Amino acid sequence: MADLQERRLKDAQMRASISQKLVETGERERLKELLRTRLIECGWRDQLKAYCKDVVKQKGLEHITVDDLVAEITPRGRAMVPDNVKKELLHRIRTFLAQQSNM
Amino acid sequence: MSFSGCQHLQAFKAAHGTQSYRIIHKYFIAALSTEARLRKARSCVCHTCKTTTVRLHSCLHCVYFGCYGANHIQEHAASKNHTLAVDLVFGAVYCFACGDYIYDGELEGIAGENGKSFEDSIGLDGCWVPTDVELQLLHQNPKRRKISDNSTIGLRGLINLGNTCFMNCIVQALTHTPLLRDYFLSDKHNCQMINESERCLVCEMCRLFQEFYSGVRTPHIPYRLLHLVWTHARHLAGYEQQDAHEFLIAALDLLHRHCKGNNGLSSSNPHHCNCIIDQIFTGGLQSDVTCKECNNVSTTIDPFWDISLDLGPPPGGDARNSLYGNGDEPSSLMECLRRFTRPEHLGSSAKIKCGKCHSYQESTKQLTMKKLPVVACFHLKRFEHSTGYHKKISTFIPFPEELDMTPFMSSSRSHNNGYQTQVVQEAASSLSSQNKYSLFAVVNHLGTIESGHYTNYIRLHKNQWYKCDDHMITKASLDSVLRSEGYLLFYHKQILEYE
Ligand SMILES: [Zn+2]
Ligand SMILES: [Zn+2]
Ligand SMILES: [Zn+2]
Ligand SMILES: [Zn+2]
Ligand SMILES: [Zn+2]
Ligand SMILES: [Zn+2]
Repeated sequence: MADLQERRLKDAQMRASISQKLVETGERERLKELLRTRLIECGWRDQLKAYCKDVVKQKGLEHITVDDLVAEITPRGRAMVPDNVKKELLHRIRTFLAQQSNM
Repeated sequence: MSFSGCQHLQAFKAAHGTQSYRIIHKYFIAALSTEARLRKARSCVCHTCKTTTVRLHSCLHCVYFGCYGANHIQEHAASKNHTLAVDLVFGAVYCFACGDYIYDGELEGIAGENGKSFEDSIGLDGCWVPTDVELQLLHQNPKRRKISDNSTIGLRGLINLGNTCFMNCIVQALTHTPLLRDYFLSDKHNCQMINESERCLVCEMCRLFQEFYSGVRTPHIPYRLLHLVWTHARHLAGYEQQDAHEFLIAALDLLHRHCKGNNGLSSSNPHHCNCIIDQIFTGGLQSDVTCKECNNVSTTIDPFWDISLDLGPPPGGDARNSLYGNGDEPSSLMECLRRFTRPEHLGSSAKIKCGKCHSYQESTKQLTMKKLPVVACFHLKRFEHSTGYHKKISTFIPFPEELDMTPFMSSSRSHNNGYQTQVVQEAASSLSSQNKYSLFAVVNHLGTIESGHYTNYIRLHKNQWYKCDDHMITKASLDSVLRSEGYLLFYHKQILEYE
């Protein structure tokens, strides 16, 4: 039990320091830009956009909020991200972390 | 939906102006300086639960940071009666009285300006977003095209201007190089040849890409390109058949040179140039020379645009053969690459001064891939020019649709005394998907060395192949591509690493 908790704490600390490094260096924005490009290239954006339009049409523009829309499309959006895009991002993050020797 | 926000935001702006939005956006969303980014990294946490994730918002009234995911910003808004908050990722404003994000033209304008300078500050080009006027113009354009999955746009034959198939086949390969196409179609070239851009080969490539992707079906006549190549690369001038490989290298070199000016130095690129050609085609070749006396290794790394692979039996005596094991002619691309990266005895007639022994010693030399290019061009040396005779090797050399370069990387290099370091191997194989390539173009030479003809295959979308024979383009099967007598093979990386 104690072990698991300790590991969780360590993971959380690691996550926080990684995310801090990503922001400090501007790498986070570069990754976002890369992700944006990839998602456009593979048609993800167009597909999700079409789905958003359907949802808005179904519920009516006056009755839908951004929160509703986010809740509705998030599962599908996540599932639709191609594996090789995830892999590429992961690889980029790994490479970035490897360069940050002072972590 | 209006673009002037809700009444709550209007009231807020009337009382307090846009200053607080401006500041929050500048310091915590589009952090412009290194300092600002450090501050952003440290301070962007929910003031209540201390996490950094799940949609952090900043209160527009008092700059409290709270997360949306765990309701902390909502709780803050309710308890303090602060109705407006800014999303710290996208900069959108949320109104708790209206219960939704709201659009406000003025605030969007501020966000747009900041965002642009932010992209500049971390060296991002950003993507082009059409303005309303541009959108309207696009919709009014009757020639506007929508690309579907089975579209054949980009296919266009090229007229042969008298033995110019050596040029046509390379033009076809280049215009179907995915990253090159993205570069040219997004109009990224800033011409450096002021007042003489008609002499710039990069500008000519831009025009060529426009021609290829214009949707016109009639063959294009590449006379301007030919003229430019003649003026810049004299050795290719004239109406005789030239070598397609030579043309490829000359074209890459000219494009690289005409990109000059905005070529920044790039430390990770072995060619120390970040022009589009070097970003796509340059790899690094490691050469290790090992002294046979003291085993001292001296290593150099040289840039390359293509890899020329020997066919036929290895020249020289048995000394070289014995290292190669099966000693014969390579019978596939993989064997060619194995031969290319195997250690080679330099022999007693080619002694090299060893830096450690301080004397001339026999040594072995091994070439390996230090850095893989995004696009790998392999040149199968089918033409042999020795003193007194010229000959073509027409052997069929099989090449795969998918190629893994891991065994030829410097990190997989076999150790001096023959065993492979296991750790290195394991590390290399776990990363191997990074070293995988897909075939996208093949140049073929038909006929003999005296009278021959170049054609090529190109890939469209993910798996459609076409054969280009000057002005004629026909559909082809992958099988016919893989069974063809390849001369130049073009592969692109499956996983891209941008700088
Ligand atoms: Zn507040
Ligand atoms: Zn929170
Ligand atoms: Zn409101
Ligand atoms: Zn130019
Ligand atoms: Zn260059
Ligand atoms: Zn030595």
